[in-house]
Amino acid sequence: MTDSTAPPAAAPPGDLPEAALRRLGSGAFSSGLTVPDFAACLQLGLQPVGLVQGFCVMQWGWYGSGSGFSRGMNPYNMGGQAQGAYAENYRCPHGYVSAEHRMWGQNFEQSWVQQAWHSGYDSSYARMLEEATAMGAHGVIGVIDRVTHIADSQTSEFHFLGTAVTVDGGPAPAGGVPWTTYLAGQRLTKSIEAGFMPVAVVASMASVRVWAYCMTEYLMEGGRTWGGPSGAHEVEQVTKAHMAVRQIARKHVRAQLGADSLQGAQIQIVKRELSAGDEVIDCTLRGNRMRRFKDFDVVPAPKPTVRLT
Amino acid sequence: MTSTANNGPTMADLRAEMLRGAQSVATLPAPSKERGITSDLSVDEGLLLHAAGWEPLDLVVGVGVVSIPYGVWQWGQGEISVASDAHNGAVRLASQQLRGECDKVQGYGVVGVRVEVEVRQHHVDVELVGTAVRPINGAAHKGNAFLSDLSARDFTLLKTAGWMPVGLAFGASFVYAPRRSAGTAMRQSTQNVELTNFTEAMYSARESAMERMQRSALDDKGEGVVNVRVTEGPMYFAKHAVGFTAWGTTVKLVADQHQYVRPDLILPLNDAVVSFEAQSLRGD
Repeated sequence: MTDSTAPPAAAPPGDLPEAALRRLGSGAFSSGLTVPDFAACLQLGLQPVGLVQGFCVMQWGWYGSGSGFSRGMNPYNMGGQAQGAYAENYRCPHGYVSAEHRMWGQNFEQSWVQQAWHSGYDSSYARMLEEATAMGAHGVIGVIDRVTHIADSQTSEFHFLGTAVTVDGGPAPAGGVPWTTYLAGQRLTKSIEAGFMPVAVVASMASVRVWAYCMTEYLMEGGRTWGGPSGAHEVEQVTKAHMAVRQIARKHVRAQLGADSLQGAQIQIVKRELSAGDEVIDCTLRGNRMRRFKDFDVVPAPKPTVRLT
Repeated sequence: MTSTANNGPTMADLRAEMLRGAQSVATLPAPSKERGITSDLSVDEGLLLHAAGWEPLDLVVGVGVVSIPYGVWQWGQGEISVASDAHNGAVRLASQQLRGECDKVQGYGVVGVRVEVEVRQHHVDVELVGTAVRPINGAAHKGNAFLSDLSARDFTLLKTAGWMPVGLAFGASFVYAPRRSAGTAMRQSTQNVELTNFTEAMYSARESAMERMQRSALDDKGEGVVNVRVTEGPMYFAKHAVGFTAWGTTVKLVADQHQYVRPDLILPLNDAVVSFEAQSLRGD
Protein backbone atom coordinates (compact mmCIF):
# COMPACT_ATOMS: atom_id res chain seq x y z
CA MET A 1 0.00 0.00 0.00
CA THR A 2 2.78 2.40 0.76
CA ASP A 3 4.49 2.15 -2.59
CA SER A 4 4.20 5.71 -3.84
CA THR A 5 4.55 4.52 -7.39
CA ALA A 6 1.21 2.74 -7.26
CA PRO A 7 -2.05 4.42 -6.25
CA PRO A 8 -3.50 2.99 -3.03
CA ALA A 9 -6.50 0.87 -3.81
CA ALA A 10 -7.90 0.13 -0.37
CA ALA A 11 -10.33 3.08 -0.03
CA PRO A 12 -12.98 3.92 -2.60
CA PRO A 13 -12.34 7.31 -4.20
CA GLY A 14 -14.35 10.31 -3.13
CA ASP A 15 -15.53 9.01 0.23
CA LEU A 16 -14.35 11.99 2.28
CA PRO A 17 -16.88 13.52 4.68
CA GLU A 18 -18.53 16.77 3.54
CA ALA A 19 -16.89 18.66 6.42
CA ALA A 20 -13.48 17.53 5.20
CA LEU A 21 -14.16 18.83 1.70
CA ARG A 22 -15.31 22.19 3.13
CA ARG A 23 -12.20 22.41 5.34
CA LEU A 24 -9.82 21.53 2.52
CA GLY A 25 -11.37 24.18 0.29
CA SER A 26 -11.46 26.95 2.91
CA GLY A 27 -8.36 28.77 1.64
CA ALA A 28 -6.49 28.87 4.98
CA PHE A 29 -3.75 26.36 5.57
CA SER A 30 -3.41 24.31 8.73
CA SER A 31 -0.47 22.25 9.93
CA GLY A 32 0.46 19.90 12.71
CA LEU A 33 4.07 21.09 12.68
CA THR A 34 5.78 22.73 15.63
CA VAL A 35 7.08 26.23 14.96
CA PRO A 36 10.71 25.02 14.58
CA ASP A 37 9.52 22.25 12.22
CA PHE A 38 7.42 24.79 10.30
CA ALA A 39 10.46 27.06 9.91
CA ALA A 40 12.64 24.14 8.76
CA CYS A 41 9.95 23.12 6.28
CA LEU A 42 9.92 26.61 4.69
CA GLN A 43 13.70 26.60 4.51
CA LEU A 44 13.57 23.41 2.47
CA GLY A 45 11.16 25.04 0.03
CA LEU A 46 8.16 23.10 1.31
CA GLN A 47 4.87 24.99 1.59
CA PRO A 48 2.30 23.53 4.02
CA VAL A 49 -1.10 23.33 2.40
CA GLY A 50 -3.15 21.62 5.06
CA LEU A 51 -3.50 19.16 7.91
CA VAL A 52 -4.66 15.89 6.39
CA GLN A 53 -6.01 12.81 8.08
CA GLY A 54 -7.57 9.44 7.43
CA PHE A 55 -9.59 7.08 9.61
CA CYS A 56 -10.88 3.55 9.47
CA VAL A 57 -12.76 1.65 12.16
CA MET A 58 -12.41 -2.13 11.94
CA GLN A 59 -14.23 -4.86 13.76
CA TRP A 60 -12.22 -7.92 14.67
CA GLY A 61 -14.19 -11.00 13.74
CA TRP A 62 -14.41 -14.35 15.46
CA TYR A 63 -11.59 -16.69 14.60
CA GLY A 64 -12.25 -19.36 17.18
CA SER A 65 -14.01 -22.68 17.17
CA GLY A 66 -16.57 -23.00 14.42
CA SER A 67 -15.07 -20.30 12.24
CA GLY A 68 -13.38 -21.08 8.97
CA PHE A 69 -10.07 -20.43 10.68
CA SER A 70 -10.16 -22.83 13.62
CA ARG A 71 -7.44 -25.38 13.87
CA GLY A 72 -9.89 -28.21 14.32
CA MET A 73 -8.52 -31.58 15.35
CA ASN A 74 -6.03 -31.95 12.56
CA PRO A 75 -2.56 -30.51 13.09
CA TYR A 76 -2.17 -30.03 9.37
CA ASN A 77 -5.44 -28.16 8.84
CA MET A 78 -4.39 -24.59 8.13
CA GLY A 79 -7.82 -23.12 7.49
CA GLY A 80 -7.60 -19.55 6.23
CA GLN A 81 -3.84 -19.46 6.03
CA ALA A 82 -2.16 -17.94 2.99
CA GLN A 83 0.07 -20.14 0.84
CA GLY A 84 3.68 -20.16 1.87
CA ALA A 85 2.83 -18.83 5.32
CA TYR A 86 4.92 -19.86 8.32
CA ALA A 87 3.86 -23.04 10.11
CA GLU A 88 5.75 -25.48 12.32
CA ASN A 89 4.50 -28.67 13.95
CA TYR A 90 5.60 -30.28 17.20
CA ARG A 91 4.90 -33.89 18.16
CA CYS A 92 4.62 -35.31 21.67
CA PRO A 93 7.52 -37.70 22.41
CA HIS A 94 5.56 -39.66 25.06
CA GLY A 95 2.92 -41.54 23.10
CA TYR A 96 -0.64 -41.77 24.38
CA VAL A 97 -0.91 -40.58 27.98
CA SER A 98 -4.47 -39.30 28.38
CA ALA A 99 -7.18 -37.53 26.42
CA GLU A 100 -6.07 -34.20 27.91
CA HIS A 101 -2.44 -34.73 26.97
CA ARG A 102 -1.35 -32.36 24.19
CA MET A 103 -0.13 -34.82 21.58
CA TRP A 104 0.90 -32.15 19.10
CA GLY A 105 1.48 -28.46 18.87
CA GLN A 106 1.74 -25.85 16.22
CA ASN A 107 3.14 -22.38 15.53
CA PHE A 108 1.40 -20.75 12.64
CA GLU A 109 1.12 -17.40 10.97
CA GLN A 110 -2.38 -15.91 11.16
CA SER A 111 -2.59 -14.49 7.65
CA TRP A 112 -6.22 -13.46 8.04
CA VAL A 113 -5.42 -11.31 11.09
CA GLN A 114 -2.61 -9.66 9.16
CA GLN A 115 -4.92 -9.03 6.21
CA ALA A 116 -7.54 -7.46 8.50
CA TRP A 117 -4.93 -5.19 10.09
CA HIS A 118 -3.61 -4.16 6.68
CA SER A 119 -7.11 -3.51 5.46
CA GLY A 120 -7.66 -0.98 8.27
CA TYR A 121 -4.18 0.51 8.00
CA ASP A 122 -4.25 0.80 4.21
CA SER A 123 -7.75 2.31 4.13
CA SER A 124 -6.93 5.06 6.63
CA TYR A 125 -3.64 5.74 4.84
CA ALA A 126 -5.40 5.93 1.48
CA ARG A 127 -7.94 8.40 2.94
CA MET A 128 -5.17 10.65 4.20
CA LEU A 129 -3.58 10.54 0.75
CA GLU A 130 -6.95 11.32 -0.79
CA GLU A 131 -7.19 14.52 1.28
CA ALA A 132 -3.61 15.42 0.34
CA THR A 133 -4.24 14.76 -3.36
CA ALA A 134 -7.42 16.88 -3.23
CA MET A 135 -5.25 19.78 -2.05
CA GLY A 136 -2.69 19.27 -4.82
CA ALA A 137 0.01 18.26 -2.32
CA HIS A 138 3.31 16.71 -3.40
CA GLY A 139 3.98 15.06 -0.06
CA VAL A 140 2.86 14.61 3.54
CA ILE A 141 5.37 15.20 6.34
CA GLY A 142 5.29 14.64 10.11
CA VAL A 143 2.95 11.67 9.72
CA ILE A 144 1.56 10.14 12.91
CA ASP A 145 -0.33 6.87 12.87
CA ARG A 146 -2.14 5.23 15.74
CA VAL A 147 -4.33 2.23 16.37
CA THR A 148 -6.74 2.66 19.29
CA HIS A 149 -9.52 0.54 20.71
CA ILE A 150 -12.87 2.23 20.70
CA ALA A 151 -15.05 2.03 23.76
CA ASP A 152 -15.72 -1.43 25.12
CA SER A 153 -16.04 -3.27 21.86
CA GLN A 154 -14.14 -5.51 19.47
CA THR A 155 -13.30 -2.53 17.30
CA SER A 156 -10.12 -0.63 16.56
CA GLU A 157 -9.68 2.70 14.89
CA PHE A 158 -6.76 3.32 12.55
CA HIS A 159 -5.84 6.99 12.43
CA PHE A 160 -3.38 8.83 10.19
CA LEU A 161 -2.48 12.50 10.58
CA GLY A 162 0.08 14.61 8.75
CA THR A 163 0.84 17.93 7.11
CA ALA A 164 0.41 18.07 3.33
CA VAL A 165 3.08 20.12 1.56
CA THR A 166 4.04 21.23 -1.91
CA VAL A 167 7.62 21.54 -3.15
CA ASP A 168 8.38 24.98 -4.58
CA GLY A 169 8.79 24.44 -8.32
CA GLY A 170 8.76 20.69 -7.77
CA PRO A 171 7.30 18.04 -10.07
CA ALA A 172 4.14 16.10 -9.33
CA PRO A 173 4.86 12.80 -7.56
CA ALA A 174 4.82 9.57 -9.53
CA GLY A 175 1.27 8.43 -10.30
CA GLY A 176 -0.06 11.58 -8.62
CA VAL A 177 0.33 9.88 -5.22
CA PRO A 178 2.04 12.12 -2.64
CA TRP A 179 5.15 10.85 -0.89
CA THR A 180 4.90 10.52 2.89
CA THR A 181 7.22 10.42 5.88
CA TYR A 182 7.15 10.31 9.67
CA LEU A 183 9.97 12.87 9.59
CA ALA A 184 9.64 16.65 9.74
CA GLY A 185 11.76 19.66 10.58
CA GLN A 186 15.47 19.25 11.17
CA ARG A 187 15.36 15.43 10.88
CA LEU A 188 13.84 15.70 7.40
CA THR A 189 16.32 18.44 6.48
CA LYS A 190 19.25 16.28 7.56
CA SER A 191 17.96 13.34 5.51
CA ILE A 192 17.62 15.51 2.39
CA GLU A 193 21.08 16.96 2.98
CA ALA A 194 22.45 13.42 3.23
CA GLY A 195 20.80 12.45 -0.05
CA PHE A 196 17.78 10.46 1.18
CA MET A 197 14.33 11.40 -0.12
CA PRO A 198 11.24 10.01 1.65
CA VAL A 199 9.12 7.74 -0.49
CA ALA A 200 6.46 6.53 1.92
CA VAL A 201 5.77 5.43 5.44
CA VAL A 202 5.77 1.65 5.51
CA ALA A 203 4.36 -0.71 8.07
CA SER A 204 3.61 -4.36 8.46
CA MET A 205 1.91 -6.47 11.06
CA ALA A 206 2.65 -10.15 11.64
CA SER A 207 0.65 -12.43 13.89
CA VAL A 208 1.71 -15.89 15.06
CA ARG A 209 -0.43 -18.24 17.14
CA VAL A 210 1.25 -20.76 19.42
CA TRP A 211 -0.67 -23.95 20.18
CA ALA A 212 1.51 -25.50 22.82
CA TYR A 213 2.30 -29.21 22.74
CA CYS A 214 2.90 -31.11 25.97
CA MET A 215 6.56 -30.17 26.43
CA THR A 216 5.90 -26.47 25.93
CA GLU A 217 2.91 -26.62 28.26
CA TYR A 218 4.92 -28.34 31.00
CA LEU A 219 7.83 -25.95 30.76
CA MET A 220 5.75 -22.78 30.60
CA GLU A 221 3.74 -23.71 33.67
CA GLY A 222 6.78 -24.68 35.68
CA GLY A 223 6.78 -28.41 35.00
CA ARG A 224 9.92 -30.45 34.82
CA THR A 225 10.82 -32.47 31.78
CA TRP A 226 9.90 -36.12 31.95
CA GLY A 227 12.90 -38.17 32.90
CA GLY A 228 15.19 -35.25 32.19
CA PRO A 229 17.30 -33.29 34.62
CA SER A 230 15.59 -30.59 36.65
CA GLY A 231 16.59 -27.03 36.02
CA ALA A 232 16.15 -24.35 33.41
CA HIS A 233 15.36 -25.39 29.83
CA GLU A 234 14.96 -23.54 26.58
CA VAL A 235 11.31 -23.42 25.50
CA GLU A 236 12.02 -24.08 21.84
CA GLN A 237 8.49 -23.71 20.48
CA VAL A 238 7.90 -20.30 22.06
CA THR A 239 11.40 -19.05 21.21
CA LYS A 240 10.89 -20.00 17.56
CA ALA A 241 7.46 -18.34 17.45
CA HIS A 242 8.91 -15.10 18.80
CA MET A 243 11.71 -15.14 16.24
CA ALA A 244 9.32 -16.02 13.42
CA VAL A 245 6.84 -13.21 14.10
CA ARG A 246 9.60 -10.60 13.98
CA GLN A 247 11.16 -12.10 10.85
CA ILE A 248 7.76 -12.21 9.08
CA ALA A 249 7.11 -8.54 9.84
CA ARG A 250 10.58 -7.69 8.53
CA LYS A 251 10.04 -9.79 5.39
CA HIS A 252 6.73 -8.05 4.64
CA VAL A 253 8.24 -4.61 5.09
CA ARG A 254 11.20 -5.57 2.94
CA ALA A 255 8.78 -6.61 0.19
CA GLN A 256 7.52 -3.01 0.09
CA LEU A 257 10.98 -1.47 -0.13
CA GLY A 258 12.39 -2.53 -3.49
CA ALA A 259 15.90 -1.12 -3.65
CA ASP A 260 15.02 1.65 -1.19
CA SER A 261 15.95 1.56 2.48
CA LEU A 262 13.95 1.52 5.69
CA GLN A 263 15.14 4.03 8.25
CA GLY A 264 14.07 4.73 11.83
CA ALA A 265 12.36 1.35 12.11
CA GLN A 266 10.32 0.60 15.23
CA ILE A 267 9.25 -2.84 16.38
CA GLN A 268 6.29 -3.25 18.73
CA ILE A 269 5.25 -6.56 20.25
CA VAL A 270 1.87 -7.37 21.75
CA LYS A 271 1.64 -10.76 23.47
CA ARG A 272 -1.59 -12.33 24.66
CA GLU A 273 -1.18 -15.40 26.83
CA LEU A 274 -4.17 -17.72 26.66
CA SER A 275 -2.98 -20.63 28.81
CA ALA A 276 0.35 -22.25 29.63
CA GLY A 277 2.33 -21.95 26.41
CA ASP A 278 -0.67 -21.00 24.29
CA GLU A 279 -0.30 -17.46 23.10
CA VAL A 280 -0.79 -15.01 20.27
CA ILE A 281 2.14 -12.79 19.36
CA ASP A 282 1.55 -9.72 17.20
CA CYS A 283 4.49 -7.74 15.84
CA THR A 284 4.19 -4.37 14.16
CA LEU A 285 7.15 -2.92 12.28
CA ARG A 286 7.04 0.58 10.84
CA GLY A 287 9.51 3.10 9.48
CA ASN A 288 10.40 5.49 6.67
CA ARG A 289 11.04 4.18 3.17
CA MET A 290 13.81 6.39 1.80
CA ARG A 291 15.34 6.65 -1.66
CA ARG A 292 18.91 7.70 -2.25
CA PHE A 293 18.97 10.45 -4.88
CA LYS A 294 22.65 11.32 -4.79
CA ASP A 295 25.88 9.78 -3.64
CA PHE A 296 26.37 10.10 0.04
CA ASP A 297 28.20 13.26 1.04
CA VAL A 298 30.26 12.20 3.98
CA VAL A 299 29.61 14.64 6.79
CA PRO A 300 32.73 16.06 8.40
CA ALA A 301 34.23 13.83 11.07
CA PRO A 302 32.45 14.63 14.32
CA LYS A 303 34.37 16.63 16.86
CA PRO A 304 33.76 16.11 20.57
CA THR A 305 32.75 19.22 22.48
CA VAL A 306 31.85 20.11 26.05
CA ARG A 307 29.20 22.76 26.64
CA LEU A 308 29.90 25.15 29.49
CA THR A 309 26.28 25.48 30.60
CA MET B 1 29.40 15.30 20.04
CA THR B 2 28.58 17.86 17.36
CA SER B 3 29.80 18.66 13.92
CA THR B 4 31.61 21.94 13.82
CA ALA B 5 31.57 22.15 10.04
CA ASN B 6 30.67 25.63 8.86
CA ASN B 7 30.61 24.80 5.19
CA GLY B 8 27.21 23.08 5.15
CA PRO B 9 24.66 23.75 2.40
CA THR B 10 23.18 27.24 2.31
CA MET B 11 19.44 27.87 2.14
CA ALA B 12 19.53 27.92 -1.67
CA ASP B 13 21.45 24.62 -1.68
CA LEU B 14 18.89 22.98 0.58
CA ARG B 15 16.08 23.98 -1.75
CA ALA B 16 18.02 22.62 -4.71
CA GLU B 17 18.61 19.36 -2.85
CA MET B 18 14.91 19.14 -1.99
CA LEU B 19 14.04 19.63 -5.66
CA ARG B 20 16.47 16.87 -6.65
CA GLY B 21 14.87 14.61 -4.08
CA ALA B 22 11.35 15.42 -5.31
CA GLN B 23 12.43 14.65 -8.88
CA SER B 24 13.74 11.27 -7.77
CA VAL B 25 10.27 10.22 -6.59
CA ALA B 26 8.48 11.82 -9.53
CA THR B 27 9.53 9.00 -11.81
CA LEU B 28 9.30 5.27 -11.44
CA PRO B 29 12.52 3.73 -10.14
CA ALA B 30 14.48 1.60 -12.58
CA PRO B 31 14.09 -2.12 -11.93
CA SER B 32 16.82 -3.24 -9.57
CA LYS B 33 17.85 -6.43 -7.84
CA GLU B 34 19.59 -4.43 -5.15
CA ARG B 35 18.46 -5.31 -1.66
CA GLY B 36 17.31 -2.36 0.42
CA ILE B 37 18.62 -1.98 3.94
CA THR B 38 16.56 -1.79 7.12
CA SER B 39 17.65 -0.01 10.25
CA ASP B 40 16.23 1.28 13.52
CA LEU B 41 18.86 3.99 13.80
CA SER B 42 17.69 7.60 13.98
CA VAL B 43 18.67 10.03 11.23
CA ASP B 44 21.41 11.47 13.44
CA GLU B 45 22.79 8.06 14.30
CA GLY B 46 22.79 6.97 10.66
CA LEU B 47 24.70 10.08 9.59
CA LEU B 48 27.17 9.78 12.43
CA LEU B 49 27.81 6.15 11.61
CA HIS B 50 28.50 7.12 7.98
CA ALA B 51 30.86 9.83 9.13
CA ALA B 52 32.76 7.20 11.10
CA GLY B 53 33.03 5.03 7.98
CA TRP B 54 30.33 2.49 8.85
CA GLU B 55 26.94 1.73 7.32
CA PRO B 56 23.79 -0.08 8.50
CA LEU B 57 22.82 -3.38 6.87
CA ASP B 58 19.74 -4.85 8.45
CA LEU B 59 17.46 -4.79 11.45
CA VAL B 60 18.28 -7.95 13.43
CA VAL B 61 16.59 -9.64 16.37
CA GLY B 62 17.30 -12.34 18.91
CA VAL B 63 14.90 -13.96 21.37
CA GLY B 64 15.42 -16.44 24.18
CA VAL B 65 12.74 -18.07 26.32
CA VAL B 66 13.93 -20.36 29.12
CA SER B 67 11.77 -22.13 31.69
CA ILE B 68 11.99 -21.98 35.48
CA PRO B 69 10.63 -25.11 37.17
CA TYR B 70 7.83 -25.11 39.73
CA GLY B 71 8.90 -24.69 43.35
CA VAL B 72 11.98 -22.64 42.66
CA TRP B 73 10.53 -19.50 44.25
CA GLN B 74 9.27 -21.16 47.43
CA TRP B 75 10.86 -20.15 50.72
CA GLY B 76 14.45 -21.18 51.08
CA GLN B 77 17.86 -19.82 51.85
CA GLY B 78 20.71 -18.47 49.81
CA GLU B 79 20.80 -18.04 46.07
CA ILE B 80 18.07 -19.28 43.72
CA SER B 81 20.58 -20.72 41.30
CA VAL B 82 18.05 -22.22 38.86
CA ALA B 83 16.53 -18.77 38.27
CA SER B 84 19.99 -17.27 37.76
CA ASP B 85 20.82 -20.07 35.29
CA ALA B 86 17.53 -19.49 33.43
CA HIS B 87 18.25 -15.79 33.12
CA ASN B 88 21.77 -16.32 31.85
CA GLY B 89 20.59 -19.09 29.50
CA ALA B 90 17.91 -16.86 27.97
CA VAL B 91 20.40 -14.05 27.41
CA ARG B 92 22.92 -16.45 25.86
CA LEU B 93 20.27 -17.89 23.55
CA ALA B 94 19.07 -14.44 22.43
CA SER B 95 22.67 -13.31 21.85
CA GLN B 96 23.35 -16.39 19.70
CA GLN B 97 20.25 -15.69 17.61
CA LEU B 98 21.28 -12.05 17.19
CA ARG B 99 24.78 -13.03 16.11
CA GLY B 100 23.30 -15.60 13.71
CA GLU B 101 21.10 -12.95 12.07
CA CYS B 102 24.07 -10.59 11.82
CA ASP B 103 26.15 -13.33 10.16
CA LYS B 104 23.41 -13.96 7.60
CA VAL B 105 23.75 -10.42 6.27
CA GLN B 106 27.55 -10.56 6.62
CA GLY B 107 27.60 -7.83 9.22
CA TYR B 108 30.61 -7.07 11.37
CA GLY B 109 28.49 -6.43 14.42
CA VAL B 110 25.28 -5.05 15.88
CA VAL B 111 24.95 -1.57 17.40
CA GLY B 112 22.22 0.08 19.45
CA VAL B 113 20.90 -3.24 20.79
CA ARG B 114 17.69 -2.69 22.74
CA VAL B 115 17.51 -5.13 25.64
CA GLU B 116 14.16 -6.31 27.05
CA VAL B 117 14.24 -8.82 29.89
CA GLU B 118 11.10 -10.12 31.57
CA VAL B 119 11.39 -12.48 34.53
CA ARG B 120 8.17 -14.41 35.07
CA GLN B 121 7.36 -17.06 37.63
CA HIS B 122 7.98 -19.95 35.24
CA HIS B 123 10.05 -18.49 32.44
CA VAL B 124 12.49 -15.74 31.51
CA ASP B 125 11.96 -13.94 28.20
CA VAL B 126 14.78 -11.95 26.61
CA GLU B 127 14.47 -9.87 23.45
CA LEU B 128 17.37 -8.14 21.70
CA VAL B 129 16.83 -5.82 18.72
CA GLY B 130 19.54 -3.85 16.93
CA THR B 131 21.04 -2.86 13.60
CA ALA B 132 23.75 -4.95 11.92
CA VAL B 133 26.56 -2.76 10.58
CA ARG B 134 29.75 -3.02 8.56
CA PRO B 135 32.50 -0.67 7.39
CA ILE B 136 31.47 1.16 4.20
CA ASN B 137 32.39 -1.07 1.25
CA GLY B 138 33.77 -3.55 3.76
CA ALA B 139 34.57 -7.08 2.62
CA ALA B 140 32.19 -9.92 3.39
CA HIS B 141 32.46 -10.92 7.00
CA LYS B 142 31.39 -14.13 8.66
CA GLY B 143 31.33 -15.07 12.30
CA ASN B 144 32.40 -13.48 15.55
CA ALA B 145 30.14 -10.45 15.16
CA PHE B 146 30.29 -7.95 18.00
CA LEU B 147 27.16 -6.97 19.93
CA SER B 148 26.73 -3.64 21.64
CA ASP B 149 23.91 -1.80 23.34
CA LEU B 150 25.77 1.46 22.82
CA SER B 151 24.16 4.06 20.58
CA ALA B 152 25.82 4.87 17.26
CA ARG B 153 27.15 8.03 18.92
CA ASP B 154 28.80 6.12 21.75
CA PHE B 155 30.08 3.49 19.30
CA THR B 156 31.76 6.24 17.25
CA LEU B 157 33.29 7.83 20.34
CA LEU B 158 34.54 4.45 21.59
CA LYS B 159 36.14 3.73 18.22
CA THR B 160 37.78 7.15 18.16
CA ALA B 161 39.36 6.32 21.50
CA GLY B 162 40.86 3.11 20.05
CA TRP B 163 38.40 0.63 21.57
CA MET B 164 35.84 -1.72 20.01
CA PRO B 165 32.79 -3.45 21.46
CA VAL B 166 32.96 -7.24 21.67
CA GLY B 167 29.66 -8.47 23.05
CA LEU B 168 26.96 -8.02 25.63
CA ALA B 169 28.00 -8.90 29.17
CA PHE B 170 25.25 -10.12 31.48
CA GLY B 171 25.04 -11.33 35.03
CA ALA B 172 22.10 -12.12 37.28
CA SER B 173 21.58 -13.33 40.79
CA PHE B 174 18.34 -14.17 42.57
CA VAL B 175 18.26 -14.69 46.33
CA TYR B 176 15.76 -15.41 49.06
CA ALA B 177 15.34 -12.58 51.54
CA PRO B 178 16.89 -14.11 54.68
CA ARG B 179 14.76 -14.96 57.69
CA ARG B 180 15.50 -14.31 61.32
CA SER B 181 14.62 -16.63 64.12
CA ALA B 182 11.49 -15.74 66.08
CA GLY B 183 13.61 -14.87 69.10
CA THR B 184 15.90 -12.57 67.13
CA ALA B 185 12.95 -10.86 65.46
CA MET B 186 11.28 -10.29 68.86
CA ARG B 187 14.49 -9.01 70.38
CA GLN B 188 15.18 -6.61 67.54
CA SER B 189 11.62 -5.35 67.22
CA THR B 190 12.29 -2.39 69.51
CA GLN B 191 15.89 -1.75 68.41
CA ASN B 192 17.44 0.40 65.70
CA VAL B 193 19.96 -2.16 64.46
CA GLU B 194 21.55 -3.31 61.27
CA LEU B 195 20.04 -6.54 60.01
CA THR B 196 23.36 -8.10 59.20
CA ASN B 197 21.95 -11.21 57.55
CA PHE B 198 19.97 -8.97 55.15
CA THR B 199 22.99 -6.78 54.45
CA GLU B 200 25.19 -9.77 53.77
CA ALA B 201 22.66 -11.50 51.53
CA MET B 202 21.96 -8.44 49.41
CA TYR B 203 25.60 -7.45 49.28
CA SER B 204 26.63 -10.93 48.21
CA ALA B 205 23.88 -11.17 45.56
CA ARG B 206 24.85 -7.85 43.99
CA GLU B 207 28.47 -8.88 43.90
CA SER B 208 27.54 -12.25 42.37
CA ALA B 209 25.56 -10.58 39.56
CA MET B 210 28.41 -8.21 38.78
CA GLU B 211 31.02 -10.93 39.05
CA ARG B 212 29.07 -13.05 36.53
CA MET B 213 28.83 -10.07 34.23
CA GLN B 214 32.58 -9.53 34.39
CA ARG B 215 33.21 -13.22 33.88
CA SER B 216 31.06 -13.20 30.74
CA ALA B 217 33.12 -10.23 29.52
CA LEU B 218 36.32 -12.21 30.05
CA ASP B 219 34.78 -15.23 28.27
CA ASP B 220 34.24 -12.92 25.29
CA LYS B 221 37.95 -11.98 25.50
CA GLY B 222 37.08 -8.42 26.46
CA GLU B 223 39.03 -6.15 28.75
CA GLY B 224 36.18 -4.36 30.48
CA VAL B 225 32.52 -3.47 30.46
CA VAL B 226 31.11 0.00 29.76
CA ASN B 227 27.66 1.49 30.16
CA VAL B 228 26.78 -0.93 32.96
CA ARG B 229 23.15 -0.90 34.05
CA VAL B 230 21.96 -2.51 37.27
CA THR B 231 18.42 -3.48 38.18
CA GLU B 232 17.23 -4.84 41.45
CA GLY B 233 14.03 -5.46 43.34
CA PRO B 234 11.65 -8.07 44.67
CA MET B 235 9.89 -10.39 42.24
CA TYR B 236 6.28 -9.28 41.82
CA PHE B 237 5.11 -12.88 42.09
CA ALA B 238 7.37 -13.77 45.08
CA LYS B 239 8.04 -10.83 47.37
CA HIS B 240 10.45 -12.86 49.48
CA ALA B 241 12.82 -13.22 46.53
CA VAL B 242 15.02 -10.42 45.24
CA GLY B 243 16.59 -10.27 41.79
CA PHE B 244 19.73 -8.41 40.75
CA THR B 245 20.86 -8.06 37.16
CA ALA B 246 23.79 -6.22 35.64
CA TRP B 247 24.60 -5.77 32.00
CA GLY B 248 26.69 -3.64 29.68
CA THR B 249 28.89 -3.75 26.59
CA THR B 250 32.18 -5.65 26.71
CA VAL B 251 35.00 -3.67 25.11
CA LYS B 252 38.61 -4.27 24.21
CA LEU B 253 41.45 -2.03 23.14
CA VAL B 254 42.24 -2.49 19.44
CA ALA B 255 44.64 0.43 19.04
CA ASP B 256 48.18 0.22 20.36
CA GLN B 257 47.11 2.38 23.24
CA HIS B 258 44.16 4.44 24.38
CA GLN B 259 43.62 7.46 22.15
CA TYR B 260 42.83 10.49 24.24
CA VAL B 261 39.81 12.41 23.05
CA ARG B 262 40.32 16.11 23.60
CA PRO B 263 36.97 17.88 23.45
CA ASP B 264 36.69 21.57 22.55
CA LEU B 265 34.97 23.76 25.08
CA ILE B 266 31.86 25.58 23.88
CA LEU B 267 30.11 28.41 25.67
CA PRO B 268 26.70 28.99 24.04
CA LEU B 269 25.78 32.68 24.04
CA ASN B 270 22.20 32.32 22.95
CA ASP B 271 19.20 32.86 25.23
CA ALA B 272 16.59 30.17 25.60
CA VAL B 273 13.95 30.45 22.87
CA VAL B 274 10.34 30.44 23.98
CA SER B 275 8.42 28.56 21.35
CA PHE B 276 4.80 27.63 20.83
CA GLU B 277 4.38 23.86 20.52
CA ALA B 278 1.74 23.46 17.84
CA GLN B 279 2.10 19.70 18.27
CA SER B 280 0.29 19.99 21.59
CA LEU B 281 -2.91 20.61 19.64
CA ARG B 282 -2.80 17.00 18.49
CA GLY B 283 -3.19 15.70 22.00
CA ASP B 284 0.12 13.83 22.01
